[in-house]
Amino acid sequence: MKARGAVSAALASAGILLAGWQAGVQIAEIRGSAASTSAGTDTGGTGATGASGSSDSSSQAGAPASGASGAAGSAGAAAAAAATYDGAMVPTRFGSVQVQITVKAGAITDVTALQLTDDDRKSIQISNRAAPLLRSEVLAAQSADVKSISGATVTSNAYLTSLQAAIDAANL
Amino acid sequence: MTTQLRPAAPAQKPSGHRGLGPVHGRSGLFHDQHRRRLLRMDALTAIAWSSVAAAVALWLADGGATVISSPAAAFTALGIVAGLAGMDLVLLMLLLAARIPLIDRTFGHDRALEFHRKLGKPSLYLLLAHGLLIAAGYGMAEGLDPVSESIALWVLVPDMWLAFVSLALFIAVVVTSLVAVRRRFPYEFWYAVHLLTYAAVGTSLPHQFSVGGLFAEGTWQRVYWLAICIATVAALLYFRVAQPVVATSRHQLTVSRVTRVAPGVVNIEMTGYQLDRLSGNGGRFFIWRFLSPGLWWHPHPFSLSAEPLAPGPRGESKLRITVRNLGRGSAQLMRLRPGTRVAVEGPYGMFGTAARTRDKVVMIGAGIGITPLRALLESTPFAPGSATVLLRGHTEQELYLGSEILELCENRGARLFHLTGPRVPWDANGWLPEDAVRAGYDLESYAPDIAEADVYICGPAAWARNVVVAAHAAGVGQEQIHHERFDW
Repeated sequence: MKARGAVSAALASAGILLAGWQAGVQIAEIRGSAASTSAGTDTGGTGATGASGSSDSSSQAGAPASGASGAAGSAGAAAAAAATYDGAMVPTRFGSVQVQITVKAGAITDVTALQLTDDDRKSIQISNRAAPLLRSEVLAAQSADVKSISGATVTSNAYLTSLQAAIDAANL
Repeated sequence: MTTQLRPAAPAQKPSGHRGLGPVHGRSGLFHDQHRRRLLRMDALTAIAWSSVAAAVALWLADGGATVISSPAAAFTALGIVAGLAGMDLVLLMLLLAARIPLIDRTFGHDRALEFHRKLGKPSLYLLLAHGLLIAAGYGMAEGLDPVSESIALWVLVPDMWLAFVSLALFIAVVVTSLVAVRRRFPYEFWYAVHLLTYAAVGTSLPHQFSVGGLFAEGTWQRVYWLAICIATVAALLYFRVAQPVVATSRHQLTVSRVTRVAPGVVNIEMTGYQLDRLSGNGGRFFIWRFLSPGLWWHPHPFSLSAEPLAPGPRGESKLRITVRNLGRGSAQLMRLRPGTRVAVEGPYGMFGTAARTRDKVVMIGAGIGITPLRALLESTPFAPGSATVLLRGHTEQELYLGSEILELCENRGARLFHLTGPRVPWDANGWLPEDAVRAGYDLESYAPDIAEADVYICGPAAWARNVVVAAHAAGVGQEQIHHERFDW
């Protein structure tokens, strides 16, 4: 009779673990596809990206933040004036990431993180450390072609993906 | 006359092995009861292990295993799994100690506490691994060594300092419960430290819900985890606090008489109400607190030594326990004053009719361990001629309540043997008196049909162990042996 208890315990445990694994794989697939298609879908539902509501069905989600930010409001067309462009919202396991670039005379003069991985305090901690490093590297390289920060790989990759979308939108 | 002092003749020992128990005797009064108990046992075992699997599955279902892409992530992942499994074991330990009737009626109080004790070290190791692996994993991710990372977590992350306090408390609780350590301190010290378990669990909870991303707000994992935590706390509060308070106020027990049975042994009679609700629990124990100065905080586990009497005209009746002066705690009980109010919890344990598996029964008691058998003999069902009672003591005087038991055996048709005299000096495994061994008697001489009977054993721990061994040798299966340990 002890064997019956042990076998049923083992079977039930194995079943639960298998179900958990299965669900986890599915979630990862959903998240993966969400991450790869988010550039083409409207993720502007959140308040932070209200300005990018005009993004169309093309692969470029980044849209000029026309009038959304005060700095860009008066100077949308002037080549010499600064303009801001929002990158795509990139979801990750630890929260969504979205950046905004400021372009002046064809050069990236600033990168602002509109949203960073913030699902939990650990992620916030990592984000707060990674964001300044990424910003300085991007400003130096003037592209999204920089190394990701070790220990903040997920945040870095999402940051750079969003950045690339913003650069594309700015037609740099 | 069904009472005798010596077996008729030493039983013939059949040649060949006797290891296998007989398969007959399965049908009968207690067959269904036993089958249901086995079913409960297996179901509860499966649920307990499944809960550990479920804790890990929570993390798997969140895609935890799919994001392991670096050594740092692997350390962190292992740390999370260790923490989940460790916390689940802690909750199981709390439930095992919550005196839940379902667990008590299935495994018995002593076995539930045995499992509780067995889980102590594994859960501590898991929690320690949780802390170390997470510190290492986070540290690697941020380029810090585990110590600096731990300091950073303590200082920077809210609720984390509580988690460190919790781990220290868990270490204290488990270390003071190790047998070697526990022996060096009085029971009260161990008990006080053990109460810190609640503080340890309490301080560990905040970081689980605020720092761990798995239990972030809005996830079903958070709902599940909250549910099992709340259910555990509710079970503890209900069964360890509410029920004893209700039982105490319902029965309103007061000490009515303390009478001397033998040197150092007294009967404590108590009067109370609705005591018929406690009948049929002969052999099972209750936890008594005598509410007088200096005594009220000391819980005493004792079995009834007699079934509650029939209620009187105003609904009040009497019950009785028999207590031997074994130490400081019970010495005070010798001098209890009539009128002392008594708080009661219970009944607990499987040393009773609920554990029966066979129609026949053999009861073997020594010293003060005889007294629970007295109440069991009074209430447990058996046909005349199918019960045997063996009482062991150094002298006839030590066979406490011997005359009451003789009377019960005569009325119910049970065979009674008094086994008195010094033990066998050269045999550490002996349990019979020396002259019985010299005459060639063994367990089967006294109870030839013991292999088809339930065997209740109550007495000093070392002696009882020897009887258990002798019973196994006589072909008694594990499920037929009922032995409650009071050395917890």
